[in-house]
Amino acid sequence: MSCTVRIPSPLRSYTAGAATIAADGGTVEEVLASLERRFSGIRFRMIDEQSRIRPHIRLYINTGEVTALSQPVVAGDIVHVICALSGG
Amino acid sequence: MPLSAAELSRYHRHLSLPELGRDGQERLKNARVVVIGAGGLGSPAALYLAAAGVGTLGLVDFDRVELSNLQRQVLFDTAAIGRAKAEAARERLLALNPEISVVAHTLTLDAGNVLDVLRGYVVLDVTDRLTTRYLVNDACVLLGKPLVSAAIHRFEGHAMTYLPGRGPCYRCLFPEAEEGVVASCAEAGVLGVLPGVLGTIQATEAIKIITGIGEPLVGRLATYDALELRFAEFPFTRRADCAVCGEHPTITAPLRTVASCDTADLSSVHRLTPSALRDRLASDGSRAALVLIDVRDPQEFDTCHLEGARNIPVAELARRVGELPDGCTPVFLCRSGRRSLTACALAIRAGIGAPAHLEGGLLAWAAEVDPTFEVARG
Repeated sequence: MSCTVRIPSPLRSYTAGAATIAADGGTVEEVLASLERRFSGIRFRMIDEQSRIRPHIRLYINTGEVTALSQPVVAGDIVHVICALSGG
Repeated sequence: MPLSAAELSRYHRHLSLPELGRDGQERLKNARVVVIGAGGLGSPAALYLAAAGVGTLGLVDFDRVELSNLQRQVLFDTAAIGRAKAEAARERLLALNPEISVVAHTLTLDAGNVLDVLRGYVVLDVTDRLTTRYLVNDACVLLGKPLVSAAIHRFEGHAMTYLPGRGPCYRCLFPEAEEGVVASCAEAGVLGVLPGVLGTIQATEAIKIITGIGEPLVGRLATYDALELRFAEFPFTRRADCAVCGEHPTITAPLRTVASCDTADLSSVHRLTPSALRDRLASDGSRAALVLIDVRDPQEFDTCHLEGARNIPVAELARRVGELPDGCTPVFLCRSGRRSLTACALAIRAGIGAPAHLEGGLLAWAAEVDPTFEVARG
């Protein structure tokens, strides 16, 4: 199952600057695992040691908020990673 | 207060808008808006609000104008380098519109003064510090004041509006931002025109709130990607467990926080994984060059700690940094890796060039290296 993940600016250092990445997986967890296989360390920036979404990160499937990593992702979905920004 | 003949002429294009008209312009004239930070976002926001005729503008900034500001901070010109930002901005705004009042606050916003400074205003959060961003959000919730918040990073920007009783606050969006994990513009860079877009959105929101027109950006995070010229918005709702606006708030007064690392350059920090730390501790040569500093609270430390670790709680580190032995690399430890990164920032500020911290904290240590290690709740 292929979807698109939009990477926020603070995490693009992991993706060589790429803003969108094609990823596989039937759930958010699987999509993140797919990302991690290609960009080692990126999952830890979003998900903590207890498999919770970090408090400065929000995940959306299209415009619906992700509240559990088990949520299904279907082909063509866009998974948005939103990261708190600090600059002014 | 009615509009003068000069004001009727100055604001003619507003008065021609039936949605705004004379009533809206008078509301703007009687309004008070405070801009927290005269920087990239604050520049266009303040300029447009002054031009629009907001009667009283407050400007809060402790800093002075530097040459590197001028790439994006259009409030200032080259002659202003070295001047206090709030004062230089005040002159510029009054030159643009002498019909308004501008109050310059050259100070650092903190828990002790934030309520007094923000009282009576619509608030624009355009700060470049996460700790100030949360301080301002909390103060607005506590005071029941509208807040328009924006932030930028490289080519990307965010904006949202909080209206008391109408929707979620910034903490509902991001309950907390872990220290040091969100890079500042000073570290990562920023496209100079980017704050022009976001700061102008903030000014638009302030004008809408004051005049009561349109639909405010409440419960929606607006995002902007300059490289793809892509706007998007994401809904979010009030959290029942929000620490400041939730049903049982734990923040009932502005928080006095320890110095955060969000303004420090953390590029020199050695980020040790649990296995990397284990390997260094197992090597006599490497072990001798390290000193383990556990920055958790004493009761957490007492529950369980790494052999040889010393306890200096992060809140005490700034005044106890002299206790760190010379010639050794301090490795800061905490529960999850957040407080230890703050400790690194404090150490860097104290002149320690390359501190280290345990990435993921002792939770990661217990998960990857030693399952018998009992990590106390923070």
